[in-house]
Amino acid sequence: MALTQPSSPAGPGGPGAGDALPLSLYSSHRPRLRGRSGVAASTISTLVVLVLIAGALASPSASAFRNGFLNVHQMWLALVGRHNEGILSVGKGFLLNIWLSGLCEAIVLVLALGLATLRLTTGPVLFPFRALAIGYTDFARGVPVILVMLWVGFGVPSLNIAEVSSQSPVVYAGFVLVFSYTAYVAEVYRAGLMSVPRAQVQAARSLGLSSRTTLRRVVLPQAVRNVLPALLNDFASLQKDTAIVSTLGVAEAVHSAQIAGGVEFNYSGFTIASLLFLAVTVPLTRYTDHIMARDRSRRLAGMPA
Amino acid sequence: MSTAQSVRAPALDGTSPPVLRAAGVHKSFGSLEVLRGVDLLVAPHEVVCLIGASGSGKSTLLRCCNLLERIDSGTIELFGHDLGHERIDEDLVRRHTGMVFQSFNLFPHLSVLENVTLAPRRVLHLQRAIAEQRAREILARIGLADKASEYPERLSGGQQQRVAIARSLAMGPRLLLLDEVTSALDPELVAEVLDLVGELAHQGMTMVVATHEMGFAREVANTVCFLEDGVIVESGPPGRIFGSPTEAATRRFLQRIIDAGRL
Repeated sequence: MALTQPSSPAGPGGPGAGDALPLSLYSSHRPRLRGRSGVAASTISTLVVLVLIAGALASPSASAFRNGFLNVHQMWLALVGRHNEGILSVGKGFLLNIWLSGLCEAIVLVLALGLATLRLTTGPVLFPFRALAIGYTDFARGVPVILVMLWVGFGVPSLNIAEVSSQSPVVYAGFVLVFSYTAYVAEVYRAGLMSVPRAQVQAARSLGLSSRTTLRRVVLPQAVRNVLPALLNDFASLQKDTAIVSTLGVAEAVHSAQIAGGVEFNYSGFTIASLLFLAVTVPLTRYTDHIMARDRSRRLAGMPA
Repeated sequence: MSTAQSVRAPALDGTSPPVLRAAGVHKSFGSLEVLRGVDLLVAPHEVVCLIGASGSGKSTLLRCCNLLERIDSGTIELFGHDLGHERIDEDLVRRHTGMVFQSFNLFPHLSVLENVTLAPRRVLHLQRAIAEQRAREILARIGLADKASEYPERLSGGQQQRVAIARSLAMGPRLLLLDEVTSALDPELVAEVLDLVGELAHQGMTMVVATHEMGFAREVANTVCFLEDGVIVESGPPGRIFGSPTEAATRRFLQRIIDAGRL
């Protein structure tokens, strides 16, 4: 090393406060592990952690946990169900979670965009609609989803209104999820729309693009890109909140797992249900990251459109 | 462009109607009066440069000409039509009036080619292939043919601004409004943009140019207008404005420019 040892004093500068301290460029801590020694260190620490976790799970005192939550036989039973004992299939129930969330998300994306655009209008005629939109958003975001679910799911049938009161619980559930999530997603859209600089709109309008075309071709694509992680976040949330439909007695994954737990006095069904949810939400978030990275690298690398 | 081959010949003879005529234009933002009675005449093929300190009203005047701002009083006529008329369609006004901004304002989610073809496709409803062919011709003319599939972020400021000009040209405007198009550029990139604007002037494009580039104004303008506090203090051919300005305010402004070493 070309540097002199820390013991050497400051250089031959003029007299000053800085000269009072000896110049040192050396850390008092041990050097960081890098390269091969770093790999070795991470391997060892990972093994230690894994052994500790395995040891904790394998210990005799954890047997209740293993048997209650990680029982493979019970997991399988809950997954496929056993019709004659009234045990509903968690797997079959989960299909309902999937299509319900997919359908609701599609409706939410359209309604929320309309709502966000409405709130960004400035025309005097639309004032009452903007006020209603604000009131709705405050309500839908401020009240627990489960409350609205119980309210609509049990309340509406009790009203005995023709057609409206005689729908299946799944319809009420879908309505409530759309009702709640449209407010959230509209706010995400609104943030995205507001994140696009006004100069972009002026540039587009200066080319003769109508306000509608400007929104569709210039503002919206940039807005959605800016809030794509938040949109997919809300989609993952919606996917999870389909579990609240279980309060209406709909045979979706969580309700089925609950039944299996009640019949068998074993709650490994919840484990399998959570694994099913994870199987959807984790790839979804990874996919979001991938889309973001691809978009960024495409714009920076200038690949053909 | 149809005027590509025509030799530059400003029609100041009074036979052809002016492209732009502003008279007594007033514009306020809140209590701040930005334009206080502006008169301006732009003939076909003429290049008018607006000079003056920041805040003198140059940009606002340009933005009133394509209706990004609405004037409070006075009149602006474009191609002989009063912009204050209640049935004026602002989209049609802008279709024929290109505007280039200080900060380029390219669409970052679109490639260069898509930036240039967006308006021809969505406003003029040109077929994609035709719009792209025309865009490539324009890009080739400004030396950016090889950048067609790049995204704006990948271009230098000078290249971005030239693409922004190409984007305006793709609509075949009859008037081009340039709002300090080199002010956001690094000094070494200014020349490529000014060269392009000079080339357009040479080809006969009618332009109103707000600029701080005095050398450019002296070289390219037919008429230079000096603005101060929202009025055109003095206007005339560049030789007279830069050589022997009659107004004290103009002399003061030019002296400051000279002191700053920019003329």
